Amino acid sequence: MGKIIVMTSGKGGVGKTTSSAAFATGLALRGFKTVVIDFDVGLRNLDLIMGCERRVVFDFINVINGEAKLSQALIKDKRIENLSILPTSQTRDKDALTREGVEKVLNELSKDFDYIVCDSPAGIERGALMALYFADHAVIVTNPEVSSVRDSDRILGVLASRSRRAEQGLEPVTQQLLLTRYDPERVERGEMLKVDDVLEILAIPLLGVIPESQAVLRASNVGMPVILDEASNAGQAYLDAVSRFLGEDVEHRFVTPQKKGLFSRLLRRSA
Amino acid sequence: MSIFSFFRSAPRASAVQAKERLQIVMAHERAGRTGPDYLPMLQQELLAVIAKYIDIDQNKVEVKLDRGGDCSTLELNIELPAREAAAKALKESAKLAVAGNRPQPAKDGDESDAVRMSAGGALTNGGVKKRR
Ligand SMILES: Nc1ncnc2c1ncn2[C@@H]1O[C@H](COP(=O)(O)OP(=O)(O)O)[C@@H](O)[C@H]1O
Ligand SMILES: [Mg+2]
Repeated sequence: MGKIIVMTSGKGGVGKTTSSAAFATGLALRGFKTVVIDFDVGLRNLDLIMGCERRVVFDFINVINGEAKLSQALIKDKRIENLSILPTSQTRDKDALTREGVEKVLNELSKDFDYIVCDSPAGIERGALMALYFADHAVIVTNPEVSSVRDSDRILGVLASRSRRAEQGLEPVTQQLLLTRYDPERVERGEMLKVDDVLEILAIPLLGVIPESQAVLRASNVGMPVILDEASNAGQAYLDAVSRFLGEDVEHRFVTPQKKGLFSRLLRRSA
Repeated sequence: MSIFSFFRSAPRASAVQAKERLQIVMAHERAGRTGPDYLPMLQQELLAVIAKYIDIDQNKVEVKLDRGGDCSTLELNIELPAREAAAKALKESAKLAVAGNRPQPAKDGDESDAVRMSAGGALTNGGVKKRR
């Protein structure tokens, strides 16, 4: 039985899609059969970030509506074995996501895959609720910024009351924080919330800190999950986060400003 | 910490304010989330009591809650009917101060939550009273 992971945040633009792509890729790199699903109906973007936009024929909604078979809609990643993408529809709206339809697709996927990563849309309405409803694990993607932290807290409340596990009185969805776009230099200047501040406020375990990094934009330009850019801070931070998710004890990196030597300052090389 | 940040005096860094503001607003939001939303009930019960004595229009009642750092205010605005035909519409407001914060989420079946609110000294005009 595959495990269902939701990447959720409440707020938009914090890095859910970036993190979904990276995380799914990371799990596949570690040998797990993994599929990543785009729940952002109407605003398909995961396909671009994964670099498979030109191979989309059928989508998640087609499968829910019985217009295509799951095997027809699944796109196998060209770089990594074990990794598949289920894109969403660009033309329909969130009402196309019925609970029964989503459940049927997830049940079918969980027979073949070890991990199902759900890329949630922003908000706390239907699309986001559907993305988190069946989850076993939630990764709360948060930026060190007041509105993002507050929205994350709202989502934690929703997970605790409106997920399947909550409704059926099962063991609660596990919740872990992925703090993204972290800028240690601004933190040191007192301009940005510290990791510890966010942890104290949200009171959930820390899965990882992903630094603000130019590598993310570069990777999205070419349709490559940033975790494959192993030379970058962000790529390494995602690799670490995946390891922690799998239960390994990995020290947090990139949370303090890097000491800039004369050499690197001359080169102005930023990851 | 670099030697420069030692000299830069930033006793109230913006990140510190961000944290404080978040802690305050989220304490309230969490309390409101886990506890029953008692405001509609409170409104109904208060109205029932007032209606025992005064004939009021249910639509001309406004209940507002303003949650602050260490003091929250519950404001009740009731428009009272005028006795005489073309009389002026009378407006009376009673302010109840909720004693302190409500850090504890009210548990289901814990009816004492509404009781915990004290009218304190903030009850203006000695409560709801008809002005003639
Ligand atoms: N660690 C990071 N460093 C820099 N930019 C980032 C980082 N993570 C995400 N971004 C950028 O933030 C924007 C929103 O990211 P996205 O993953 O689409 O967010 P969401 O899916 O939550 O709306 C994108 O432009 C992305 O490139
Ligand atoms: Mg997205």
